[in-house]
Amino acid sequence: MFEKITEIINYIRTKQGKDVIENIKLTDNLRSDLGLDSLDLAELTVRLESEFGIDIFEDGLVETVNEIIEKLKKS
Amino acid sequence: MKYFYSDLVRDVSYLELIKEINQSKKYKFISNHSDYYLIFKDIIVSLLNDSEIVLIDSDLSKSEIYKFNISEYDLNKMIVCDFPDVIDYIDLINRIKNSKNWQMVLFTSGTTGIPKRVVHKLSNLIRMVKINEERGLDIWGFAYNPSHIAGVQVFFQALLNINHIVRLFNLPVEKIYELINKYNVTNISATPTFFRLLKNANIKFETVKRISSGGERFDNKLFNDLQRMFPNAKILNIYASTEFGTLFASKGENFVIKDEFRDKIKIYDSELFVHKSLLGILDENNLMGDWYKTGDKVEVLKENPLTIKILGRSNEFVNVGGYKVLITEVEEYINSIPGVIKSKVYSKRNSVLGSILVCEVEVNDNSLTETKIFNYLLNNLQPYKIPRIIKIVNEIETTTTGKIKR
Repeated sequence: MFEKITEIINYIRTKQGKDVIENIKLTDNLRSDLGLDSLDLAELTVRLESEFGIDIFEDGLVETVNEIIEKLKKS
Repeated sequence: MKYFYSDLVRDVSYLELIKEINQSKKYKFISNHSDYYLIFKDIIVSLLNDSEIVLIDSDLSKSEIYKFNISEYDLNKMIVCDFPDVIDYIDLINRIKNSKNWQMVLFTSGTTGIPKRVVHKLSNLIRMVKINEERGLDIWGFAYNPSHIAGVQVFFQALLNINHIVRLFNLPVEKIYELINKYNVTNISATPTFFRLLKNANIKFETVKRISSGGERFDNKLFNDLQRMFPNAKILNIYASTEFGTLFASKGENFVIKDEFRDKIKIYDSELFVHKSLLGILDENNLMGDWYKTGDKVEVLKENPLTIKILGRSNEFVNVGGYKVLITEVEEYINSIPGVIKSKVYSKRNSVLGSILVCEVEVNDNSLTETKIFNYLLNNLQPYKIPRIIKIVNEIETTTTGKIKR
């Protein structure tokens, strides 16, 4: 699951010409550490939903990689 | 000291603003700065000079600007002014209110893909501005794009009450939290998307007294979330557009139309029409007789007093995080990429932005990938207009007349 998430995050980054982040950490903040803006986060939810069937932003904000994993595991 | 403007890097007082204005006395005719302070200063100087100003987004590409019919010369033009020195902020506000010839040009996405020029007089922009002693203490969290009508209206509401404006738009969420607390922000007006991104179950802002939102679908869930996050705030849902500014406000998702507007709005075939007397000056393309077609589908909940709910756009517009996108314009750009046969852009509901753009593309060049198409669009369109999911498909279904099935 973690690998799939980091793969999607890096896909969203590289699509815009940004670097691949090799060592994404569980505690990384999606915005400040991984540089995702609101459009990127919207895309991330769509890609995660088609992979895992869960909308991570449905009930509230998700800040870190670990919080994504928690949302996906909970449901 | 009375502050005029703050952002992450500086605070500017009214005294400093006036000093700068008196020293330079010039403004950029087409104001497209990425620094909000410079845009606000341009607007104020144009008001003092009682002459026209044009606002456009700072992130527009050359080819997008070209569609606005703006020349390179105009884009860089500075207007040198000749007005007596401003004495203090009282003098500043009095002179601004007396600008008779001033007008502001804004652009809105036109139905043909060509941006539509809308000219606003001061009286139209400040129709809903409330000036009183209590409002004089407001501290505004500025959460709109300053070149859009909602941003301009917040600017005037704040300026005419000599309020402090704190820039919150387009910043990381944690910086927004920090600024609201640092400056004790009391008022925030923003799109539902802005508030959805701000949402956090563990954070409350006690200083905020008024919240207003609009520009895309505002539902009761958002209303409840806002009430939790801003426990001391009055929350208003606002219906407004570039063509007519703010039209109505409500305390939930339903709008009760006030008597004074009752004969100025009409609902025909579930679509909202607004009488032309409420509009800024514009081309007459969307007028049907004396009525302006808003393109917004509404549901009538009650006849007396007239109570309506906005359902969404009726035509080819999609609302992405508060920005109106004309999907046929996006398709035009995609179709101009070598190797693309045709494309279909549509929206998908999204928990972050309200809707997100998705696109299907039919190609005759197998080397075209999602990344290549995305990159091409990144250089030619504002970010919110770019589909975030691009699927290469074998065939896009068309109707018998060759139109894309929607």
